[in-house]
Amino acid sequence: MDDGFAEYVAHRRLRLCRMAYLLTQDWGTAEDLVQTALSKAWLAWRRVEGNPDPYVYRIIVNTHASWWRRRWRGEVPAATVPETADPRDTSAEVDDQAVLWSAIGTLSPRQRAVIVLHYFEGRTLTQVADIVGCSPGAVKRQLSRALTRLRVDPDMQTMKLERV
Amino acid sequence: MRHTESELRKLLTEHGGERAHHGPSVHLDAIVKRGRRTRRIRRAVTGGTAAAFAVAAVGLVNGLLTGPSGMAETMVAQRSADSAQVDPGPKLPEKFPVVLGANKFDLPLIHSQRFKTEGVTRTVTFTPSSFFTGYKVVCDDPRAWVVTSHQLKSGEGGGTAGRCREGVGGHHDRLSAPSDWLKRPQSMQVWVFPADAPVKEVAKAVTGCRPIWKSKGCDETAQSRELMHPEVRERLLAEIGEQPGGWAVGIYDRSATAEPAPNGEPPANIEPPTEGTSTPAGR
Repeated sequence: MDDGFAEYVAHRRLRLCRMAYLLTQDWGTAEDLVQTALSKAWLAWRRVEGNPDPYVYRIIVNTHASWWRRRWRGEVPAATVPETADPRDTSAEVDDQAVLWSAIGTLSPRQRAVIVLHYFEGRTLTQVADIVGCSPGAVKRQLSRALTRLRVDPDMQTMKLERV
Repeated sequence: MRHTESELRKLLTEHGGERAHHGPSVHLDAIVKRGRRTRRIRRAVTGGTAAAFAVAAVGLVNGLLTGPSGMAETMVAQRSADSAQVDPGPKLPEKFPVVLGANKFDLPLIHSQRFKTEGVTRTVTFTPSSFFTGYKVVCDDPRAWVVTSHQLKSGEGGGTAGRCREGVGGHHDRLSAPSDWLKRPQSMQVWVFPADAPVKEVAKAVTGCRPIWKSKGCDETAQSRELMHPEVRERLLAEIGEQPGGWAVGIYDRSATAEPAPNGEPPANIEPPTEGTSTPAGR
C-alpha cells in the first residue's frame, strides 16, 4: 500500500516534525509523535481524500493531547510570567523570548495546538477548527485565552525602542 | 512585559527551524512497520472480541434476559450466530418506549450514528417526523460521562448529563418541541467523556461545583449539573482531547415510511409497549 504515502512523508516530514516540536518542546518526543501519527495515517491512507495535511495534523494534535494527559506534570504553571529587565537591554530580548517560549509550554495541549497552527502554520481559524475538531468560535476563545496567558496583545504593534 | 503577535510568530519560526539542518529521524520503513504492527494487533483484538461475542450470544439465547430492561442485550441474542461481520460497540435498542400519562407507545429507531472516539463535540442531524422524537446514547463503557444538548420551545437549551449506564436519553412532546420542529432537519450535540475524566476538578475550577440540595459536596449529581455549563465542557475537551471510546446515538420517531402526520402526532397503529418501562425522561 502506497498511493503517494511515501512521497507525502518525504515531502512533509520535516515540516511535521517542526510543528510537533512546537507542541512538545522536545525533538525526540516530536519525532516519536510524528512517527506515531504517520503510522496511524498509513492505516487509513486509502480513505483520505484530497489534501492529507488536515487529517495528519489532527492526528498529531490529538495524539499529543493524549500523551500530555497521561504523563506526569510536575511543573506548576505560574499565574503570571516573571517580569524581566529593562526592555532596552539586548539581553532582555533573549530573556523575553525564553519567557515566552516557557509560557507556551504551560498552555493546555489544545491551546498550544491553536497557537502553533495559527501562528506557525498560518492556518485560518476555520482551518484550525477543522483540524482540532471544534467550532471556529471555540477556537477563537481558545486563542484569546492562550494569548492572554502568553501576554501577547493582538492589538499591539511591534515597537522598536530607541537605544540611547 | 507584553509581546506582539509578530514576536510570537518570529519565536515559533525560530524554534521550529532549530535542528532543521540535522533532518528528522522519521523514516518511512519505521512508520510502515509500526502501522502494520498496529493493524495486526487490531485484527487480533477484533477476532478476540468476535469470540467473546459469540459466547455471550449463546448465553443470552438461553433465555437469560427477558423484559424491556434487557432490550439492548436482547437484540444481541436475536442476531444470528453465524453473522459474517461482528459490529463491535454498544447496541442501541430497536424501540424507544414513550409513556405520556395513559398513552403508551413505542417509537422505532429512524437514525443512528456510531463513534469510536470520546472527548469530541459531535453534532447529530436528523429529520423529525413527529413532536415525540426521542434519542438514546449508549456507550461501550457504562461509566463514561454523557452530555446532550438540544433546543427547546421558545429557544432555550435543554439536555441531559450523567453517567452513560444503560443509556442516556429523552424525548420531546408537544410542549417541549420547538415550533419549527417538523419544518426542517434538526440537530443535537452530544459529548461523551471517559469515565475517569477530571469532571470534578474542572467543575470546581470553573463554577465551584456547589452541592445540590442534600448532596454532600461536589458529588456526581452536582458534577452532572455542572456538565451542562458550556465552559466546563470546553475545559474538559481541552484537557482530555480525542480518545478512543465507542458509543452510539439513536434517534427514534415515526417510521420514515409511515403516513405523514401534519399535526405531529404519533401514528395510531403504533404498537403499545409490552410493559410500562419508561418515564417521559426516557432514561
